[in-house]
Amino acid sequence: MNLEADVIVAGGGSAGLAAALASARAGARTLLLERQAMLGGMGTHALVHTFCGLFHPDVSLPWAWLNPGISVEIGQAMMERTNQSAPDLMGKVYVLRQHPSLYAQIADDLCRAEPHLTLLTGCEWTALRQEEAGWHLETFTRGAQKRLRCKALIDTTGDATGARLLNPDWCQQTEGGKLYRPAYISAFHGIQGRHDDAWRLTIGAMIVRAVRDGLLPQAAMGAAFRDSPFAGETFLTVDLEAGQGDWDPFDPMKRARVEQEGREVALGVWQFLVREHADFKHCPPPMLPTKAGIRETARYIGDYVITGDDLAANRRFDDEIALAGWPMEKRENARGPKFRYFDEPKPAGIPALCLYRADAPGLFFAGRCLSADHEALASLRVMGTCMATGEAAGKLAVAHVKSN
Amino acid sequence: MPDISPTAVIALIAEHHIVESDGPLTPDSDLFAQGLDSLAMMQLMLHLEREFGVRITPTEMTRNHFATATILARWLSHPNRSAA
Repeated sequence: MNLEADVIVAGGGSAGLAAALASARAGARTLLLERQAMLGGMGTHALVHTFCGLFHPDVSLPWAWLNPGISVEIGQAMMERTNQSAPDLMGKVYVLRQHPSLYAQIADDLCRAEPHLTLLTGCEWTALRQEEAGWHLETFTRGAQKRLRCKALIDTTGDATGARLLNPDWCQQTEGGKLYRPAYISAFHGIQGRHDDAWRLTIGAMIVRAVRDGLLPQAAMGAAFRDSPFAGETFLTVDLEAGQGDWDPFDPMKRARVEQEGREVALGVWQFLVREHADFKHCPPPMLPTKAGIRETARYIGDYVITGDDLAANRRFDDEIALAGWPMEKRENARGPKFRYFDEPKPAGIPALCLYRADAPGLFFAGRCLSADHEALASLRVMGTCMATGEAAGKLAVAHVKSN
Repeated sequence: MPDISPTAVIALIAEHHIVESDGPLTPDSDLFAQGLDSLAMMQLMLHLEREFGVRITPTEMTRNHFATATILARWLSHPNRSAA
């Protein structure tokens, strides 16, 4: 079976969702390919429950949206559906708590409103060829092959899958020991009590002591609870060591071990706290994510590679397509994040050159696999920024289609 | 009862890289301003227990107790606290 479109967006996470919406709204026949069953990527499958990167980085000022457009639309829809009137101030940043189920719902609502947008799920991208008129993709859905053609292609897989299929020289990957650690997030229900700072420190100290005494795996060390926007639900986040230097996100055996490690920690913490802390006495086992939240794999080398120093210096570009405002949140081990804040509490620009390369006309990339160095990725990978770069890639793709 | 000095607490913080501060810590440095976060607090708790033989219960893990090396040392040395 063959399908043709003006624009194909591969990967339905935050970047791909925004890219496909921007493309379809500009009148391009758009296909959005997703491997899982829901849109939203990390924000649905991995239960990442905060939208970061949506707001201006100066917290001495009242909160303000950073990038106009689809990220605001999604942020506002989430605020309405979760009954929040403002983001939370957490330390030196504003964040918006989001609910994974509602994110999937918002994504569905937005996509179904676009007559030019077709969503394909359960769709694994297996081959890519460059043709005179554009791009030729092959996909598999449970053993059934599809051939797809498009004039412009947007890779929002987060893994630079297109480069890996066609030309690995187009992408780069950080060595295993430095790759940002995967997060494992599960949803607890029915924890009693007030979950303030003192409560979190008490729970943290109990967990750390249990790790030292060998009652919990080492990976539980940085376990942290954060309440959902809805009463009675609390998310547990742990950063996984993932074999540290041995970690390779493209090795399915190592991925299996990471997922097992995540489940072991989440359920271990649950069992321990049910036994040891009165607030957890009646908690059912936590709901597990579809998969661990993998923060870093491979990304494109575009015509410009934005760096951590660019962001820290609040650098601006003539061709910038979106603004970054989230600090570089570096998670190179399971002992928690190290933050590098921008020098000034002001945004930094992301140039269009980070979304394409001139020797691959009609190919664009956004989200977690845009062209950035390891340090800049620690800021640009967050969902709010992915929506903004995705939307920009969608517009660039449509402009490419119209000019050819 | 352990007699713990602020200098000993600072030495412990430095030895185990509990915070990554630009300049040297003083007994009255605000530890949270120097980068002490909740995870680093937990690490420090384990090191204090091991080094000084004190016992810090989970409910005693408050930001007030960990505000500065002086406050921490004075609190840990207080006669009303039970040793491990």
